[in-house]
Amino acid sequence: MPTWIFYLLTLAVFGAIYGTLALGLNIQWGYTGILDFMYIAFVAVGGYVTSLLMLPPTQAAFGETYVLGLNWPFIPALVVGGLASALLAFIVGLLSLNRLRSDYFAIVTVAVGLVLYTIAGNDTPLVNGWDGISGIPQPFQSTLNLDANSYGFFFLGLCLIILIIVYIFSERLYRSPFGRALRSVREDEMVAEGLGKNVFALRLKAFVIGAFIAGIGGSMLVIYVDAFNPSAWTTGETFFLWAALLLGGSANNRGAMLGALIVPVLFAEITRFLPTFGSPQVVDAFRYIAIGILLILTVRFRPQGIIAEKRFRVRKSKLQRLESALASASTGVQITDTDLADNAGILPDGNAPLQSEEGKTL
Amino acid sequence: MALLHTLLLSFGFGLITASILAIAAVGLSLQFGITNYINFAYGDLLTFGIYTAFVVNQHLGLNIWIGLVIAVIATAILAWLINLFILRPFTDRGTSPIIMLVVTLGVSLILQNVILAIFSEQFQSYSINTGTPLTLGPFLFTPLQLGIIGLAIVTMLGIHALLHYTRLGKAMRAVSDSPELARISGINTRLVVNAAWLLAGGLAGLSGVVLAFNVASFTPTVGFGFLFVIFAAVILGGIGSPYGAIVGALVVGLATEMSAAFISSEYKDAIALVILIIALLIRPQGIFASRGRA
Repeated sequence: MPTWIFYLLTLAVFGAIYGTLALGLNIQWGYTGILDFMYIAFVAVGGYVTSLLMLPPTQAAFGETYVLGLNWPFIPALVVGGLASALLAFIVGLLSLNRLRSDYFAIVTVAVGLVLYTIAGNDTPLVNGWDGISGIPQPFQSTLNLDANSYGFFFLGLCLIILIIVYIFSERLYRSPFGRALRSVREDEMVAEGLGKNVFALRLKAFVIGAFIAGIGGSMLVIYVDAFNPSAWTTGETFFLWAALLLGGSANNRGAMLGALIVPVLFAEITRFLPTFGSPQVVDAFRYIAIGILLILTVRFRPQGIIAEKRFRVRKSKLQRLESALASASTGVQITDTDLADNAGILPDGNAPLQSEEGKTL
Repeated sequence: MALLHTLLLSFGFGLITASILAIAAVGLSLQFGITNYINFAYGDLLTFGIYTAFVVNQHLGLNIWIGLVIAVIATAILAWLINLFILRPFTDRGTSPIIMLVVTLGVSLILQNVILAIFSEQFQSYSINTGTPLTLGPFLFTPLQLGIIGLAIVTMLGIHALLHYTRLGKAMRAVSDSPELARISGINTRLVVNAAWLLAGGLAGLSGVVLAFNVASFTPTVGFGFLFVIFAAVILGGIGSPYGAIVGALVVGLATEMSAAFISSEYKDAIALVILIIALLIRPQGIFASRGRA
């Protein structure tokens, strides 16, 4: 296989995986407005659990030590990996989502992520410490017995299937009454609560769903790169995904995937293949500087991202009736039941209720 | 008894860490009280101070204490410039605290990695004379460490005097309480915000350099790593309250160092993070604060 095809294949796989990861973060931040800075820890937990389930038992001869090692097949390992991330999110969310303003919640997430990172690195018997795990069996390869090249395409197919499933799920979620409720929490939790929504439960669900997707995407990532240690999931990696989502367009799934293609894939992966100037750390540093600048410029000049969230429009006839109802209300005329019914009808009719003036309130 | 001896020794280390932490936490707390958003770039201001003193000390060959003074001034100016050119355009538009947090994150990435690109990841250190250790009761301190503690005490007294006996300090407290009321009372809030950034930057530079004294060798990520220890102290003491931050610094400093007597010192920072998480969950307004912001 020519090098450039291999190169494109690699980029496509990373694109599909990071696209999946961006979709999960989008449910947390884009839909619900949860400031999750431990997203990469969910990616890591999913990746670790899936890999550890698929790996053979630890062998002292190789000098590796890790828990589990159950030789599980791919599919159940993947599902349990996702569930492990979801469980972590459930615990963190249950303890802190209802108590803290979102910026303090963000600090808690960073702290939890760093604690997990410290434990994973220093507690060697757990996940082989700073050396990390490797040699994870390739999904379905034992039955397929493909050569390396064909297997690359097969794996891309696998990643794309997961991406498409997650995308369709996310889109349906967005349009569903549940998705609307999430967005109402994002826009104004007081209003959402006033309308009888359980804000805490909604936030918790979105947080857990996002983490599950992170775990699935993380599993694919770890299996693909086949070597995973704590340095692969520093807090900085979370910011890559954040930059991707904000640049591509929060609350828009296509935007999220586009952002994933631009930031982690184009920025992070392509530069790996460019001729290096200076040490690898210097290249890394410039990558992060670029991400920082991108983040600030996006928030300043295009807060809605490249592909903005679809705006909700009220049908004109409906708007006029609402206006006249409001006018009569303000002049003291009693509002009839039909007026009220119409007003209430606005919410289920459109896509995004309670949209603020500038669109997505970044 | 061996354990008691170890505990007393680590209590001594804890006092030094607490001193460094107190300087940093007061700065962060002051800035937060005035601007009302969380600043993720604060840790990298410490790093900037550390490397400024490093350049003065190692490249220009000057005494490290001159380096310290220059680092304080340079970091203060940098913090002021960051606010002027990057953060104020956002706050002037009424950007929400959450987005301000994302913006400071961007600033942190830029600052940290510019320093990384210039100085690389390798460990650096100052040329400094720690002096011969002195035995003070059960404790063992080098003159340098005593200097750190002294510097922290002087700084705290200075901040106290500033906040209580000067017009600027009183204005800062007023803005921290309520920016609107302060403005109505004729306080120039923009001036106060500028002063807060200069002060926070100066304190960041100072705490950064003494942190580097204490850890002996440093890399460009030292400040960002320390940021969450600072957060722990600030949040424990009640966000936006400089006095609470001092108490928070003492608790966190002592807890992290004394924990090393029982578990691996690799987990030192993790202890601070756990304190941070528990503090936020149990009493988000801070252990020592009367009113909450969280």
